[in-house]
Amino acid sequence: MLPRSFSILPPAVLILGLALTAAELQAQGDGPEIGEQAPKFTLGDTYGKQHALEDYEGQWVVLEWLNYECPYVGKHYNSGNMQRLQESFAEKGVKWLAIVSSAPGKQGYHEPQEMNRLSAEKGSKALAVLLDPDGVVGKMYGAKTTPQMILIDPAGTLLYNGAIDDKPSSRPSSLEGAHNYLVAALEEAMSGKPVSTPTSKPYGCSVKYKN
Amino acid sequence: MPKADHSLIEPRAAARMTGLVLTLGFLFGEQLYAQGAEDLSPHSEAQLVAEVRAIAPGEPFTAALRLVMDEGWHSYWVNPGDAGTPASIEWSLPRGFEVGPIQWPYPERIEVPPLMSYGYFNEVLLLVEITPPADLALDMPVALEAGAYWLVCSDICLPAEQQLRLVLPVAEAAEPDDRWTGSFTATRDRLPVSVEGWDIRAERTSTGYRLSIIPLGEETAWEGDPYYFPRDEAVVSPSAPQAVSRRGSHLLLSLQESSYSSGPATRLEGVLLAPQGEAWDKDGRVRALAVDVAVTEPAGGDALQAGSGTGNLTLAVALVFALIGGSLLNLMPCVFPVLSIKVLGFVNQAGEDRFKAGAHGVAFAIGVVLSFLALAGVILLLRSGGSRLGWGFQLQSPAFVAAVAILLFALALNLMGLFEVGTVLTRLGGRVAQPQSYVDSLSSGVLATLIATPCTAPFMGTALGFALTQPMLQTLLVFGALGLGMAIPYVVVSASPALLRLLPKPGAWMETTRQLLAFPLFGTVIWLVWVFARQTGVNGAAHLLTALMMLAFATWVLGRWKAQLIDARTRLVSRAVVLVALGLAVGLAARGTRAEAAAAGSTQWQPFSQELVQQLRAAGQPVFIDFTAAWCLSCQVNEQVVLASRVIEDAFVEHNVATLKADWTRFDPVITSALESFGRSGVPLYVFYPADLARSPVVLPTILTKRGVLDVLQDVASSDLQAPAAAAITR
Repeated sequence: MLPRSFSILPPAVLILGLALTAAELQAQGDGPEIGEQAPKFTLGDTYGKQHALEDYEGQWVVLEWLNYECPYVGKHYNSGNMQRLQESFAEKGVKWLAIVSSAPGKQGYHEPQEMNRLSAEKGSKALAVLLDPDGVVGKMYGAKTTPQMILIDPAGTLLYNGAIDDKPSSRPSSLEGAHNYLVAALEEAMSGKPVSTPTSKPYGCSVKYKN
Repeated sequence: MPKADHSLIEPRAAARMTGLVLTLGFLFGEQLYAQGAEDLSPHSEAQLVAEVRAIAPGEPFTAALRLVMDEGWHSYWVNPGDAGTPASIEWSLPRGFEVGPIQWPYPERIEVPPLMSYGYFNEVLLLVEITPPADLALDMPVALEAGAYWLVCSDICLPAEQQLRLVLPVAEAAEPDDRWTGSFTATRDRLPVSVEGWDIRAERTSTGYRLSIIPLGEETAWEGDPYYFPRDEAVVSPSAPQAVSRRGSHLLLSLQESSYSSGPATRLEGVLLAPQGEAWDKDGRVRALAVDVAVTEPAGGDALQAGSGTGNLTLAVALVFALIGGSLLNLMPCVFPVLSIKVLGFVNQAGEDRFKAGAHGVAFAIGVVLSFLALAGVILLLRSGGSRLGWGFQLQSPAFVAAVAILLFALALNLMGLFEVGTVLTRLGGRVAQPQSYVDSLSSGVLATLIATPCTAPFMGTALGFALTQPMLQTLLVFGALGLGMAIPYVVVSASPALLRLLPKPGAWMETTRQLLAFPLFGTVIWLVWVFARQTGVNGAAHLLTALMMLAFATWVLGRWKAQLIDARTRLVSRAVVLVALGLAVGLAARGTRAEAAAAGSTQWQPFSQELVQQLRAAGQPVFIDFTAAWCLSCQVNEQVVLASRVIEDAFVEHNVATLKADWTRFDPVITSALESFGRSGVPLYVFYPADLARSPVVLPTILTKRGVLDVLQDVASSDLQAPAAAAITR
């Protein structure tokens, strides 16, 4: 039945319309801005444990967009570069969360067990590998490529979003002499200085989002 | 395996060497084959080519890295877009040689939502100018060597590399190499160039940049829009839509700043691609216009789009501007119908007691302010998600436009008296003398805001430009002030008996006015449908219009069988019909928002001309012609059901059929005479020409079936195969 009163219609149209618009535009978002609150999310890891960003309040957090089959990711894992970073960050108390936004059937997506096997094979030192098969968190952060790195400070502020370093290449030789933006950002931020390069264009394979 | 019998090395040694090579390969395998693949350049091949067969000392020549990619694979432009890496060349040239930068032809857009890349499919030549030293010896051939590194992607990406070598003799004068002339010419046509007659300007805005494209000569009447490829990465967001607006002869392109930019750019460098089928120059050759302009800060006055230039505005001033702008909003054409309707409401309230009238005014104001705050809230929410929005952003969403169109259409029908429902709409019309609830007043405030959003009033732009660059609290304050400003006139009128008394007494004139006011609302609906059509295409608009018709039907049923006058059974049936019609309306509107994607098949239809038919057949291709028109319903059915079906599209590809469309939507003498030549005076007509020029065309039936089309394709294509020689000889 039609409602007795039309009064609820204009507010309903406004709310519904805005919600639809918000959802539509959210999907086109370019990610949050530096210096603003990092968007909250909750994702399950490959062991079924739920991780909410709030769980890490008061701690430094790194988000790494991951696709083990991507040659650019391969450069950092096959050379041991990423694992060394993960280890040294862990020593400083930084929580490192790798996020896989590949959709099922696309490159980089694996069932949790297979993902664990790959992580063990690569010797990943990330705290957890989170699964984002619908790409919701990836799009929320505007993740474009693998790898793409995000640094969040203990207050939950986004400090860095972008490439891991300044050598956009998949050749292992490009690691030599590369300036690692993430390391620089963490060092500056931890010593209370402003981050000199808070963003850079991420390089690598495109994130294999759901169509 | 080395072929020992052709080798000077004896077989056993060869075997040993093979072993050594394998061992070395194993040792270096990790570096050499990072992909674990044997092929260093998967799905693509690279080659060094030169425009000349021989080079001359001191005389610059053009060489190119030629990349040929498998079908469906692409490599990248100098700015790869959201992901990817452009090709690079590491030259090792003989002493004294100088090499220029890569000249990149304009790329294609490769869209994989939410990402956008720029790159090349099939084949591309990356041009480089090389200058040999003036003292080059004439007798020794020169070897140009280079390592090429590129990324080749389809849905996955693979890095590729190849060591290349090109040996060229040295002669007194350079000789062109006609093997490559065509490729080089085609590539040069794709290089961005400057064209006289265009003035390009770039301006900073609150969300990025605005390119003004100003024709100095005659105006263009382009149907499509140009696209800007930013050359530098991290300046303009590749995936953000480029909104195009027209101001007189000026084309304005809104570009969103990349979220990875390190600050505002001082120059914009890139390529402006003319819309499909258009060109920047008179000869129609130049499709890619080179852009390299300084970015200027906008001069004031146009603060809505510009945003900055409000930098020294204080919050207090912005709030005052918002209040003034908000109240002026009431005079803008889009709000005017609401204002008039509201005034009618006041006429009714005039009889009520003073306190009640005032309280309704306040409830209305609360409705307006809350809606403005809701808008601000969504803007802030999306801003935290990285989107940067302006006023009226919600109209960028087809779903929102459709919802508002439906609401306003229903309101207009109600004003016309087609049906009566509940309270708020009739209340707005001031028809029923029952007490109005405060919720209704609040709700009419929301409605007023909904209708107001497409408009901007003076002063408002400045205030908004300020608000959108401010932290949360300030943004909310300015939006609240805008709402307050819009509501103030109503509050004042409803709270002041003196003013209410000025209004005419209620009477028959109100019914007339009420019906008259439906027309500006119909006007607004027309405008919204037009916006919707721009967003979703003509099919989407047809869906929305059909939805409106279903809505009109539902309201007619409601008005024809009024609740008070019918028995329980009629009530049940009629209301069920209403629900079904409304459901259909919503469903149709929702489908309309996604109409465009569904409308187009993947077959490429070229515009019809007799010459093209001859050319294609002469080149050995059979030709299928679809004589059609937008207003021809059976044409549309045939196209959607048969021609755009997967089976037929595949069959076209399989038999290498060229597909032409003769669009007779508007009068066209060429198509008319072509139709006459087949004894027809109208569409649809489907004609299939065999490649063999000696054979006559087959006319297909007016109502197509997949089976029928497949049979014809099969027959004609197979007989073409039997007589290819004959085809060549006949002309």
